[in-house]
Amino acid sequence: MACLSTSGRVACGSRRQQAHKLICRLFLNHSLHSRQSSQLVAGDTPGHARKYRATHNEQLARSFHGLSFGINQDYLSLLQTSHSCSQPPNLRSHSSVHTQQPAGPVREIQIDPYIILDDELKYFYDDVRDLLQSGTSQPELDTIACYYFDGQGKALRPMVTMLMAKALNYHLNNESHQLVHKQRQIALFSEMVHSASLVHDDVIDQSDFRRGKPSVNALWNHKKVTMAGDYILSIASIMISRLRSDDVTIVLSQILTDLVQGEFMQLGSRETENERFAHYLTKTYRKTASLIANALKATAVIAQADDNVAEVAFQYGRNIGLAFQLVDDMLDFVSSTEQMGKPTAADLKLGLATAPVLFACEKYPELNPMVMRRFSEPGDVERAFELVHKSHGLEQTRFLAKKHCNEAIRLAQELTESPYQKGLQVVADLVINRMK
Amino acid sequence: MNRVGAVIMQQILRQRMQPRQLQLCLDQVSPVELPHLSTFTQLRCTSTSTASNKQVTPPPRHDWNRAVSEAERIVGYPTSFLSLRWLLSDEIANVALHLRKLVGSTHPLMKTAKHLLYNGKNTMQAWGLIVLLVSKAAGHAPSIPDVEQDKSAGVLHSQRALAEVTEMIRISHLVHNSVVNLQSGTEAGQDATTYDDMSFGNKIGLLTGDYLLGHSSAELANLRNQEVVELISSAVRDFSESEFIGERDEQNNPLPFKPGTFQRPSLSVGVDFNEHDVMTPMPIGQVMGNPEQEWECRNILNAGSLLGKSCQASLKLAGQSEQMQRHAYRFGKHLALAWQACLDAESFQCPTLPLDATFSLVSAPVLFHLEHDPSLYKLLEPGKKSVDLIDYNQIHKAIVAGPALAKTKELQRKHTAAALSVLQHFPATDARQALENIILAMQDL
Repeated sequence: MACLSTSGRVACGSRRQQAHKLICRLFLNHSLHSRQSSQLVAGDTPGHARKYRATHNEQLARSFHGLSFGINQDYLSLLQTSHSCSQPPNLRSHSSVHTQQPAGPVREIQIDPYIILDDELKYFYDDVRDLLQSGTSQPELDTIACYYFDGQGKALRPMVTMLMAKALNYHLNNESHQLVHKQRQIALFSEMVHSASLVHDDVIDQSDFRRGKPSVNALWNHKKVTMAGDYILSIASIMISRLRSDDVTIVLSQILTDLVQGEFMQLGSRETENERFAHYLTKTYRKTASLIANALKATAVIAQADDNVAEVAFQYGRNIGLAFQLVDDMLDFVSSTEQMGKPTAADLKLGLATAPVLFACEKYPELNPMVMRRFSEPGDVERAFELVHKSHGLEQTRFLAKKHCNEAIRLAQELTESPYQKGLQVVADLVINRMK
Repeated sequence: MNRVGAVIMQQILRQRMQPRQLQLCLDQVSPVELPHLSTFTQLRCTSTSTASNKQVTPPPRHDWNRAVSEAERIVGYPTSFLSLRWLLSDEIANVALHLRKLVGSTHPLMKTAKHLLYNGKNTMQAWGLIVLLVSKAAGHAPSIPDVEQDKSAGVLHSQRALAEVTEMIRISHLVHNSVVNLQSGTEAGQDATTYDDMSFGNKIGLLTGDYLLGHSSAELANLRNQEVVELISSAVRDFSESEFIGERDEQNNPLPFKPGTFQRPSLSVGVDFNEHDVMTPMPIGQVMGNPEQEWECRNILNAGSLLGKSCQASLKLAGQSEQMQRHAYRFGKHLALAWQACLDAESFQCPTLPLDATFSLVSAPVLFHLEHDPSLYKLLEPGKKSVDLIDYNQIHKAIVAGPALAKTKELQRKHTAAALSVLQHFPATDARQALENIILAMQDL
């Protein structure tokens, strides 16, 4: 789903969304996308659910063939292994202090993070829009600022933030409403900062579509769009300052400096082959993972958790964020633009060498000069795309993402067991297995 | 408020050069810099305007340059160093590299950058200097521990950091305002040859502005005072809001409302922010149609808000009373408005408009003249597509012949007097004296 993608340059089509829903059903027996339908499915009998699964497997295969002209067999088999390996308890090798494992692995127990957080997330976007509306007397500013808070996004950041908040509160044995309310403001902040960065990205990238609708820069004056991004940030900062916690403000302000530094790193770099991967990972941390990591840390700080617990929250968020972006970069090579029937490779077109390319460089050194010239010569994008698919770049990227997800799961297990703590582990699976 | 920089520069030149030389230099550092026009237009007129004849300027009774250097001495060091820290970062070095690719293009960012760097010493200091002077004039509560103080300058370290933040936010707004609207259908979006340059310039401008905003929010957070964070964030909000008010041309340059759009009785008292809730926006809808108050609202959002709120926040950091904080806010606000009125009047001081020079269509003289003679609006209508299509000379002529300039001068005096009177609530110190000198010098410009 494009709304999840941090780069999010590609419009997401309904078919892809459908594929995503199917995947979600496969893993969770219900759709992430619409909670109403997911509740229905969750209530189904096991037999029914199995039937569901079987038919959707077929549909899934069909829709993949439809979508993916260039996807090689490798990737489909990779996909298949990915859902089979989400079932067996091969990850259980990580023991932890707090958890005594119940009979099966956590993910066989059907926890949908969106359902257990329904109270916090139900009116989430309404609250963001109310907040943005209360800060201005100018209707046009309000309209632009609220444009991406239409409830169509999947709200990954707020969901993970609230999940961690509630898991921490359970761990710390403090589940007061007041505290949850404050943590929810941190979740609002994470989504607002994310949207502000999308709004500014739109002006920078000049893309016409985002999340299946015209992007803000296609509809409004670019100067006003720029100002609307600043406006969202300022309102988010006012909201956070009202929590009256110096430490929370300091932790969250780190997100903003990281985001911009990440963008600057993306502008251009002349580092050697050895430094390139480290540069890529640092950039990924700053552009994507820092937001999640620091938002999660802030929920720990406001709950007055000790430094160790705050670090668990931070590291969990960092690993989830890195895995999320790695999967995103991988999907850029395997998803497709529906109408054109040709590869998106949006990152390549923007001149960016992401993990799959960097891995592929090891096998095909001819990619190195293309990386250096940012795939600017005719044929570069196509050639690089082909070589990435020939190499094991995608598998290696996925493997790296998987490692980060496993680490996230290990970290989540350091917290006291609760539905939320299990939810955190489910999220790690969602991230690695998502299809946009 | 960077226009003040040009004014300061003029003063320096006036002091140091022979009259003939001076005239030449003044042509290059033109005072005709208008707040509401795009930076591009501003700077274009800066670089190309020819002599405006200033032969009858009376010798200033209060010298601006002396007032400023005196003030700098009082706060301990040249305030132009305020902004050096952010200039020395890797990211800005990176920006400088990328800007080289834009050299020769017409992207307004180039002009903004040139302006900020070339006139840097003079343009960047003004607001930070005022914040520091107000801080010193008010002093701080005895409860503030010694380590927090910069003894030699008489201000707190946190206040100095706040002055930096004020400058960073202001520059970030200027830089974000240099973004070019490249929407399809606009003139800028059509031209394929310059499109790439423009698009790249927008990218750099956006990121640079974001960098400054990001760093100012980190600096603010480190002050560990959430009321200050709240207040300054709301000033950022006000900046964004100011770019949405009223009609706009393709490049978002403001146009006045059509006379008669609003039928409202004039309010006897002006409007301002809600003192008790910074989230509440300026109730600008209440004053539309009243030229003076509409002008005031636009310029509070545009300038007065940040200066006023920074002065207020600085006193918060010093543990001063709510009442003193309100005085500080009002001082900053009125000073910014007086400054703006002074700059608005400047374009209409001479009987003819310098070649290629323009002025803001929502500057005080234009708004006052529209009230006096609504038929002027006809001449402004071509500006709805682009303010460049307007016959500035004709409008200039009409305004100079009318009562608008006198009213603008009156407006300036009003805010100058308000700033001076609110200053009386501060103890008599050298810092207060310095502020008074700056105001008086400005009045004589």
